Amino acid sequence: MSAASRANYRRRSLLCWLALSPLVAITLFPFAVMLATALKPAAEILTPRAEWFGSRFAFENFATMWSATNFGSALVNSLAVSCGATLFALILAVPAAYALSRHDFRGSSLYRQFLLVTQMLSPIVLVVGLFRLLVSLGVVDSLSAVTLVYAAFNVAFCVWMLQSYFASIPRELEEAAWLDGASRFTTITRIFLPLAAPALTVTAIFTFIQAWNEFVLALTLLRREENYTLTIQVFSLVAGRYTIEWHHVMAATFAATVPVAILFAWLQRYFVQGLALGAVK
Amino acid sequence: MSASHQVSEPADRAAAPPAARGGAGGTGQVGLASPLALLAPSFLVAALVILYPLWNIGVLATHDVDRFGQLGGYAGAANLMHVLEDPLFLPTLVRTVLWTLCVVAGAVVVSLPVALILDLDFAGRGLARMIVMLPWAVSVTMTAVVWRWALNGESGYANAVLQGLHIIGEPIVWLAEASTAFPVQILIGILVTVPFTVTLFLGGLASLPRDIYEAAEVDSATRFQAFYLLTLPLLRPFITMAVVLNVIYVFNSFPIIWVLTQGGPANSTDILVTYLYKLAFRFGRLGDAAALSLVMFAILFAFTLVYVRLASRARSA
Repeated sequence: MSAASRANYRRRSLLCWLALSPLVAITLFPFAVMLATALKPAAEILTPRAEWFGSRFAFENFATMWSATNFGSALVNSLAVSCGATLFALILAVPAAYALSRHDFRGSSLYRQFLLVTQMLSPIVLVVGLFRLLVSLGVVDSLSAVTLVYAAFNVAFCVWMLQSYFASIPRELEEAAWLDGASRFTTITRIFLPLAAPALTVTAIFTFIQAWNEFVLALTLLRREENYTLTIQVFSLVAGRYTIEWHHVMAATFAATVPVAILFAWLQRYFVQGLALGAVK
Repeated sequence: MSASHQVSEPADRAAAPPAARGGAGGTGQVGLASPLALLAPSFLVAALVILYPLWNIGVLATHDVDRFGQLGGYAGAANLMHVLEDPLFLPTLVRTVLWTLCVVAGAVVVSLPVALILDLDFAGRGLARMIVMLPWAVSVTMTAVVWRWALNGESGYANAVLQGLHIIGEPIVWLAEASTAFPVQILIGILVTVPFTVTLFLGGLASLPRDIYEAAEVDSATRFQAFYLLTLPLLRPFITMAVVLNVIYVFNSFPIIWVLTQGGPANSTDILVTYLYKLAFRFGRLGDAAALSLVMFAILFAFTLVYVRLASRARSA
């Protein structure tokens, strides 16, 4: 690289960051607010003009938040629901995506349209009917029912993501295995699924995050506090209360979001392209 | 060749004895080979959780329903008329359109230049992408909770920062009235919609053939011409997709408004989804809520049809 082109590169980098700076600032602002508030002593929260740093770092806020907000049980619930929904959505979606990518058959376009319609029917539009469905099955306020519902709403996305990736796995590998006498089942579990592992991982993580972040269904379908997931547990700390313990709330949002955000940030480059292509195809 | 034909046929025609293919678990083979059997589990679960409630909503919308959900007699379009004649409906519908329009347009207008920048090669691009994508990973609910605190009229950080920058003099009680609350909600809506939109555009930019830009350079096209005549038309399917998916998503978006104002004060920041939630779970008007659900679904469906029609006409023209 010549000196001129290096100077050019440096200038361009500076300009790019300059152009992005308003968005970067406003994106990072909520994280700064979370961290600053979570680490301030409780007595210094409600001051006339907010300061970024308190008199000291109050790390004990996280410990007191944990017991005061029922964080542990909400965390366990969120993990159970999100993992369960992810696993179940994949179990349903993998065979369907495999069929769509490997077979040409009459029902396939009908099935694709069905997927599109289920995508358009968002949980909120259906919430009244869903509530009644669970009432009639006697499973209101049940975490397993919420898991099933989350899985069902993510199936369309999973099939969509997976089938565009599956289609890019060469058929010849499977055919070679069949010729060698492997059964279809062995071929799929030994040849096909290992090749599809990256797509499965990305789809799984995306589904997990969707379930982890879901709000309106949890709000309507879960009743007792012991069944609350993190999103509604945190929401219940601010909804309809006269005094809000903001240092606890911010500690809770921080603890609930940062692990997922890091996981996501680390993985986002893997699915930027996959998602875009899957969406347009 | 014959092997691949055999397996890609539906099971009823590919009825060769399993032994001929030499595999274990013969019956399993036929089962797995049938594409419809592979689709069935996902279809059944999605139908139970999505189509059955839809049907249920249809029933509720056309019957008298008491607040405990007990069905009464057939009511025809009475519930629908209740909804349409409710003085809250029209302002809420108008606000929903405004909300959807502003958030989607804002997100596309912000995301296009951001995606173009992130597609360039510059120092720290990986970090920049990560930061831009970050709001996506955070639950919109959590984001809204944080903003509710940041927008606090007395001790919030938004006022502190804006006063520090001398943009405002006196602290503003942002969420106390719709004239300040709703624009702020739109702004937050744009912010959480940007990552997904940028992702779509980045995927689109990555799929553009690089050689046409070399050709454009040879023809001494300016950078602006290259953008306007090449990039923009080629990105069009991705922009269409971003608009359609975001309209569906933003129209249905509940947490920002619910967490910040619960549609208040006095229903002045309600959009259809929050209004629907209130009808069903606050006022116990389940029949009306069901009718409103159908209205909302009809709006989304009509939008998608019109847009897809327009987009395909534009492409063929």
